Amino acid sequence: MKGVVFTEFLEMVESKFGLEVVDTIIENSNLASEGIYTSVGTYDFNEMISLITNLSDEVKAPMGDLIYTFGLYLFNGLGTSHPEVIENYTNPINLLYAIEDHIHVHVKKLYPDAELPTFKILDKTETSLSMIYSSSRGLYRLAHGLIEKTFEHFNGEATISYELLKEDGTEVKFDIVQHG
Amino acid sequence: MDSKEITLLKKALARQVKARKQAERILEEKSKELYDVTLHLKEANNKLEETLTEKSTQLDGVFVNLIDPYVVMDLTGNVIKMNSSAKEFLQADNTKEKLNLGRFIHKNYIDYTHTSFKALIEVGIVKNYRAKLVITKGVEKYVEINASLIYDNNQKPIGAQGVIRDINQETEIKKLLSEQRKQLDIIVQNSPLAIVLVQNRDIIKVNNSFIRLLGYSESELKNIKIDTIAKPEDPKQRESLFNQLEKGDIDNFTITYKYIKKAGGHILGKTAISAVRNQNGSIDYKVGLIEDITKTIEAEKQLVDSKNRLTKLIANLHTGILVEDENRKITLTNEMFHDLFDVKINKEGLKGYDCVVAIEKIKHLFKNPEREIKRIEEVTKNKNLVLADEIEMIDGRIIERDYIPIFNSNVYAGHLWTYNDVTIARNYKINLESEKEKYSSIIANMNLGLIEIDNNQIIQLVNQSFCKISGYSEEELIGKKATDVIQVINKDLLENKIASRRTGKSDSYEIDIKHIDGTVKHWLVSAAPKHDVTGKVIGSIGIHFDITEQKTLENQKETLLKELEQSNKGLQEYAHIVSHDLKSPLRSINALCSWLNEDYKDVLDDPGKYNLNMMQEKVEAMDSLIDGILKYSTINSENIVNTSVDVNEVIKEITDIIFIPDHVEIVVTNKLPTICADRTKIHQLIQNFLSNAVVHIEREKGLVEIGCIETPTHWEFSVKDNGVGIPKEYHEKIFKIFQSVGNKERSTGIGLSIVKKIIDLYEGKVWLESEIGVGTTFFFSLKK
Repeated sequence: MKGVVFTEFLEMVESKFGLEVVDTIIENSNLASEGIYTSVGTYDFNEMISLITNLSDEVKAPMGDLIYTFGLYLFNGLGTSHPEVIENYTNPINLLYAIEDHIHVHVKKLYPDAELPTFKILDKTETSLSMIYSSSRGLYRLAHGLIEKTFEHFNGEATISYELLKEDGTEVKFDIVQHG
Repeated sequence: MDSKEITLLKKALARQVKARKQAERILEEKSKELYDVTLHLKEANNKLEETLTEKSTQLDGVFVNLIDPYVVMDLTGNVIKMNSSAKEFLQADNTKEKLNLGRFIHKNYIDYTHTSFKALIEVGIVKNYRAKLVITKGVEKYVEINASLIYDNNQKPIGAQGVIRDINQETEIKKLLSEQRKQLDIIVQNSPLAIVLVQNRDIIKVNNSFIRLLGYSESELKNIKIDTIAKPEDPKQRESLFNQLEKGDIDNFTITYKYIKKAGGHILGKTAISAVRNQNGSIDYKVGLIEDITKTIEAEKQLVDSKNRLTKLIANLHTGILVEDENRKITLTNEMFHDLFDVKINKEGLKGYDCVVAIEKIKHLFKNPEREIKRIEEVTKNKNLVLADEIEMIDGRIIERDYIPIFNSNVYAGHLWTYNDVTIARNYKINLESEKEKYSSIIANMNLGLIEIDNNQIIQLVNQSFCKISGYSEEELIGKKATDVIQVINKDLLENKIASRRTGKSDSYEIDIKHIDGTVKHWLVSAAPKHDVTGKVIGSIGIHFDITEQKTLENQKETLLKELEQSNKGLQEYAHIVSHDLKSPLRSINALCSWLNEDYKDVLDDPGKYNLNMMQEKVEAMDSLIDGILKYSTINSENIVNTSVDVNEVIKEITDIIFIPDHVEIVVTNKLPTICADRTKIHQLIQNFLSNAVVHIEREKGLVEIGCIETPTHWEFSVKDNGVGIPKEYHEKIFKIFQSVGNKERSTGIGLSIVKKIIDLYEGKVWLESEIGVGTTFFFSLKK
């Protein structure tokens, strides 16, 4: 997993729960990297699982919600690092529509070893989008947060519903309807 | 800031520092990688440039060494450079002489060459310029030239280069091709398949077979649209296939058309249609190859018909049919099969059904399910023909089953079961057997001897009675020749009868047998020929009845009769002789008495004369008596001669000859009939009645009346007198011989017994009514 996810995650934890929680979850997670992450590096996905699990224990919040919250936070982080990507699009539906074919292609240029989820578009209109998230990581709530934030970024509003096609969340169908 | 916070911050900082160093290290590694890649690329670039230079040099040489002639000229046609091929081809060398290409152009191609050259200048390139060149006098060559302009650094044309191709060979090939085309045409024309070339709907070309097949001439066809004479059997299929052909999905397909003949009628043509496309891929022509399949279709139809008939036949067969494939799956059943085993699933539904499963479902119908299932397993395992297996059903039916394995080229391909309900036949057989037993026991126990022999008279069968009457045991008889064992006395008769039996005649006859104990036996034989199923005589059956006893009795009777006849005859002769012999001494006595009376009438006193008279009268009475006996004894049926007799005449004759006292009158009260009888006997009969009547009248005036009435069967006569009458006690007696009423001299006592005898001959009756002092009426009847 790319280092940027880890650095952003720890930043979110620090900003939301304080430095102490960051320290605690790093200590408790018993990580091979010792909690030292750089955005240009790549780290074991299991470390992320440990961190989230420990965070969930620590702050007594469900993992899914924590991941979703991280998604909301991560959008800003990524947007700050790569504003030119977002500037390419004028509305959230088009941005989401282009993830697979455009944004991910650019990611691959910088990080050829990145393991990215895929988004298969089922149906798209001016104001709606239906797609299937699929990733061995099963971090669909992260995607959920990112999508949510996308609309917020463009000052839009949308109803986002999802349906698990596989129980472990490795395949999830998103139905997005924009209004306003 | 408390110490804990400081500790945390320190730790966080430490992590950040380490992270930065990590990041720096990663970046350094990436920089190094980039540097290496750049270096590598530079090297690759250099190598490529070198290769390019080499290739250019080689390319220059290529032109020189080009196999095709290569020429560079200036814009006026003067050769600047030419390769060795060009030198050889044009038989000229620009290094030895000034050479202008114009000189080679054949005069017919000069205009064409100018035009082409102009085009070259304008466009910069000319392709497929074809012309005839005159190399030397008498040597001409066809060439094709592809040429392009050569420019200087300022893009100004300074000359042109061209490659010359010798197309003499191509021209020859073209000629060859046209010849081949001709050959192809011949093939097409003579192809047994009808061939048609169609553009859009127009018929462009057809071959002879097509003309022959449909009867239109080629010129007629030119004006006919193909779809007016060719109708697809399946328009939808044609539509779909044509669309695919147009789109280019397919290049050919086969479809059946109905072709209308010029003479009327049509044929069915299996038509292979191929598209002939141009460079753009669109269809220029369509070629159709037509095979007349009218007969094939007809044959197929007949095949289907006959298959249908066969299927129907099987369906309605009175035999249950079950065909299984090699995996014991049902492939065919018929109605009868469904009826026999009460199968509710319809025939289609049963197809593919596993028989191993099916048998479990119907096994309750069998009387002995385990045995039947085992048998089926055994039969299907062996795969040998099995005929007439019997299945007993629980409801009492008996089903006969055949198993016929089916082999296709020696490979087992399933089997056929056939089923027949043989319950009735079986019961019939049982009935037949019980009937046979019944008759056998009758035959065995009947009192008649039965023997069956074949055409060689070999004994096949005898019954108990035959053994008994012949005196031989069954073992002594069976298998022997009948006439060898049984000693037949009248052999000739038997041989005749046996011979006539061969011709199919049956009859009854008697044979005499010398019995085992030496006595002669008489058998009554009833014999009939024995036939086999085809009606051929294969022997005879005889029924024998021992009639020895009856025969003996009959013989005795015959002897007795003969004896009786003789004694009767003797008796008659005796009566004749006796009466004759008795009469002659009587006549002598009578003569002696007369002589005595004549000679000694003077000597004799009155009592003497009276006694002598009395003596004479007694002798006369005796004579009458003897006459009567004689008459009586001669009356019998043997000497009757029946004729037509008029009774009136008979009465007249009698009254003429008999003595009638003067005071008696005879009256016939009604006309008497003419009857069929012996005249003498009738005379005798009536004379007796009349004589009796007239004699016994003592009145002053006597009257005798004769009458007759007719009854359906008889003539009933009456003779009435007014005489003394007969006392009641004599009414029976008088008809017996030597009985007489009264003591009249003339009454012999024989008369009425003669009457009785004659009336008996004519099956009549005689009776009387009488009153003492009033008279007597005699009645007698004679059968008509």
